[in-house]
Amino acid sequence: MLIIFIPSILLVILSFFKINRTLMAAVSSLIIVPAIYIFMHPFVNEYFLVDKLNSFVLLISSIVGVGVSLSMISLPERLNLNEEAIKRFYRFFGIFWFGLIISILANNMGIFWIGLEFATLSTVYMIKVKDSLTAHKEAWKYLTVGAIAISLVLFGIILMYASAKDVLGEDAMNFYALAKNAGKINNFLFEIGFTISVTGFFIKMGFFPMNLWLADIERASIYPVAALFSGILESAIMLGFFRLSKIEMLVNTSHLVTFSYIYAIFTLFMVSFLIYRTKDFVTTFALSGIEHMVLITIFWVSGGYFAALLHLAAHAFLKPALFLSSSMLEQKRRYSFKGALKGYSNKLVPLLISLLLLGIISIPPSPMFFSEIFGFKAMLDVAQDSDYFLVMIFAIFIIMLLLSIIFYKFITIYQEALYDGDDEPKKVYKSEIAMLLLFTISLLALILPQVFDYIEGIIK
Amino acid sequence: MIDVLIGFYIATLITELFTTRLYRLLGWYALNSLFLGLIAIYMGAEIGDNAMIISGSITILIKFMLIPYVLKYIATKFNIPRNINPNLKVHYSTIIVPVILVFTYYLVNPIIHNMAYNANYVALSISSLFLAMLLIIEHKNIAPKIVGFLSIENALFLLAISATKGMPMLVELGIFVDLLMLIVIVNILFKHQGDF
Amino acid sequence: MIYYIIQILSIFLIAPFLVGIIKSIKMFMLYKRPISPFQPYFDFYKLLYKEVIYSKESSAVSKIAPILIISPLILVVFLLPPIFKDSFYVSFMDAFTITGLISLSTFFLMLLGVDSASAFGGLGSSREAFISALVEPAMILTIFSVSLMANSIGISKAALNLASSFPATHAASFVLAAISFFILLVAENGRIPVDNPETHLELTMVHEAMILDVSGADLALVELASGIKYAIFATLFVTLFIPFGTDLPFALAFLVFIAKLLIVSVVIALLEVNTAKLRLFKVPNLLGISIIFGFLSLITFYILGGVA
Repeated sequence: MLIIFIPSILLVILSFFKINRTLMAAVSSLIIVPAIYIFMHPFVNEYFLVDKLNSFVLLISSIVGVGVSLSMISLPERLNLNEEAIKRFYRFFGIFWFGLIISILANNMGIFWIGLEFATLSTVYMIKVKDSLTAHKEAWKYLTVGAIAISLVLFGIILMYASAKDVLGEDAMNFYALAKNAGKINNFLFEIGFTISVTGFFIKMGFFPMNLWLADIERASIYPVAALFSGILESAIMLGFFRLSKIEMLVNTSHLVTFSYIYAIFTLFMVSFLIYRTKDFVTTFALSGIEHMVLITIFWVSGGYFAALLHLAAHAFLKPALFLSSSMLEQKRRYSFKGALKGYSNKLVPLLISLLLLGIISIPPSPMFFSEIFGFKAMLDVAQDSDYFLVMIFAIFIIMLLLSIIFYKFITIYQEALYDGDDEPKKVYKSEIAMLLLFTISLLALILPQVFDYIEGIIK
Repeated sequence: MIDVLIGFYIATLITELFTTRLYRLLGWYALNSLFLGLIAIYMGAEIGDNAMIISGSITILIKFMLIPYVLKYIATKFNIPRNINPNLKVHYSTIIVPVILVFTYYLVNPIIHNMAYNANYVALSISSLFLAMLLIIEHKNIAPKIVGFLSIENALFLLAISATKGMPMLVELGIFVDLLMLIVIVNILFKHQGDF
Repeated sequence: MIYYIIQILSIFLIAPFLVGIIKSIKMFMLYKRPISPFQPYFDFYKLLYKEVIYSKESSAVSKIAPILIISPLILVVFLLPPIFKDSFYVSFMDAFTITGLISLSTFFLMLLGVDSASAFGGLGSSREAFISALVEPAMILTIFSVSLMANSIGISKAALNLASSFPATHAASFVLAAISFFILLVAENGRIPVDNPETHLELTMVHEAMILDVSGADLALVELASGIKYAIFATLFVTLFIPFGTDLPFALAFLVFIAKLLIVSVVIALLEVNTAKLRLFKVPNLLGISIIFGFLSLITFYILGGVA
């Protein structure tokens, strides 16, 4: 059990000595070993519980972690980071990973929260690895807004705990115990607590009222941090949402569906127009991350578990890859590979990046295509079963419309990337190619039939 | 007895809202946490829950003694401005605070009808949650925002001990660890304020 | 009836003494040679025989204002809660009567300040208006909250009820109301965090600025009025918020009452020595706290009411 924490602790310890960047990347890539081990050998104890769902999320997160550490080898050349900054990055990456494992594997709402808070606080400092005034301001902003969001989550957790304390005693913190006894708990209190907690999660992921704060932060910090946010932290938060909404489904499904759909439509409305108007590509990517989280949310509450998980995995691979490749392609806040990779003789990197960029807008071979097909099918099923067929169909239609705006914008970005930009040859490092290959292979693995079967079997 | 302590708890929180000096704000926060710890100890003794007595004592140790002292040390070390004027004029907050108190009471009315015990304390702890958020909103400087966040934490602790008769011991200890982590992060952020 | 008259006479008589003792304690604490606590009596006597001079610009208001300042306060003294359970008391006195009469007195004081047509008078009056506008809501809220706890809207009855059955279930509201009222006691009587009664510096003075142009017997009346006002507030504070001792035989009850007044005065003196005067624009912060505490006391009365 304790073995899974070894790589992160090792990272923290090593970061105090003189470092070798390749060695550090290798050490931090070790996090995948315990993840695979846990994936193969699930275990249960008093506070932790490994089932297919969280071992799957942990595996995805660790693959993203490996990709991030690969890109860290060459990042200092691109951004003029000094050794001290890299040390700090790895130190807090270790702590981040420590909190994240606790949070993902926890079977206890309280421990889940503690891990999440730990991970959140450690990212605050990672934002400031880049020494700039904006990064500093955004770090403070992240600290305050993130702290409020996470306090809301705790607030909700306390109310949910209170709703079941009389029936279950101390087990009322337990996700599975709650799900098992969903009929006995105080429904009203649970729903209030659930709503507050989920609002906290949503604020943390940049949903409706707080659309731009995450985008600003990802713009101001270095790219690996943006990758960590979109690939790992959001998956962990989503996992909490999955667990809680499973219980809420047993308590009152129609409330859950109404709440999430309304929230989703508001968010998509804001996000689609923000994406349409924005000029800066990092902001676009961050906002599109919000869009995908919205999709995952509504797929999940509509019962399309397979679609939601596939979408989660695909997004977790695609978005970090795009963020990390930005360090190669960024030209005056534009994303362009025509000019940037002009002098680069190897055609592999432009090919991979264009595949990834097309993948994120669900062009057919991408796993996102399949997840959206299945997800919309699940939504239609919900519409058919509900008493408000027309309203639901209308809602789905609105969602499709808003998605098409985003689709249009991404096609434009792709075209600009292809044809605009100045000729400015850049060197591409081996570690970056390895990172891109890792993500592409993981993505291709997602559309294997066996993987489809496995994901389908996660939630029965 | 708990009534008096909760009254003082909320009174110190409101005084935080009207304070314009940083060190005095820290002092009120310390008093606020002291009353919180006493509430926990008293309540724990009443229902015979040792875990709650322990977490109350830890609250007093960490939040009453350690955190205000460390924050004051940080503030002295990094020359943080000590004059913290709220963005909100005092005339407005004189009106807003009673509105929050009454409004939250009616807002949480359905919740407290569902509470098996200590319903009234729950109402007060939720309004103290909103007051602490007001503290975050009304200040522009970063130091009072941190105190505001710590006060939110206090309000949630009060909610936990009154609504659920205390969370599991491990969770409460974890929350304390997170608070210490927050202080460390704050320290580092202030330390590298000028490094660019 | 005899108890009632004794109580009223004693409040009149002790009022200058209370102001004097605060002053002498403060001087003692500051390592000065303290004046006699009875000094205000001598001052009063001296001022009565001084010539009265009116400024050329002043109107008839200046002549009648000192009488109008002191008369509502004298009226209030007759309406104060009893210090002994069997004594006579006036039952219709409630929060509005008391604040109304006190602000009537303050109104004439401000008029007097403006009427002298000097710059200082107007300055002092506007500051006084600024402060008392904030004091009044807090005072009404606080006294209402106490009245609720005592199950009686009349202050006198409330004080007796509090003395006979202390509202232990509402201890939180009670303590908050007490804090709020103590802040009011300090603010309304021009004690240090709000106003410094000893200074004549134009930046800080409030009460002194209004009476700069008053002289002779008029000044004696105004000074006596401020002494009586302090005695009224102190009496309200000790009867409502330190409600014990009324069950004792009259002589003892009377002694306990005097002792409580002295204790309050000593506390105020210590507070004055140990705090710095607030800037005028910070005063709303203090009074805002007082208003909110009064309100909080009402809220906690309802929210925590009945939970032991």
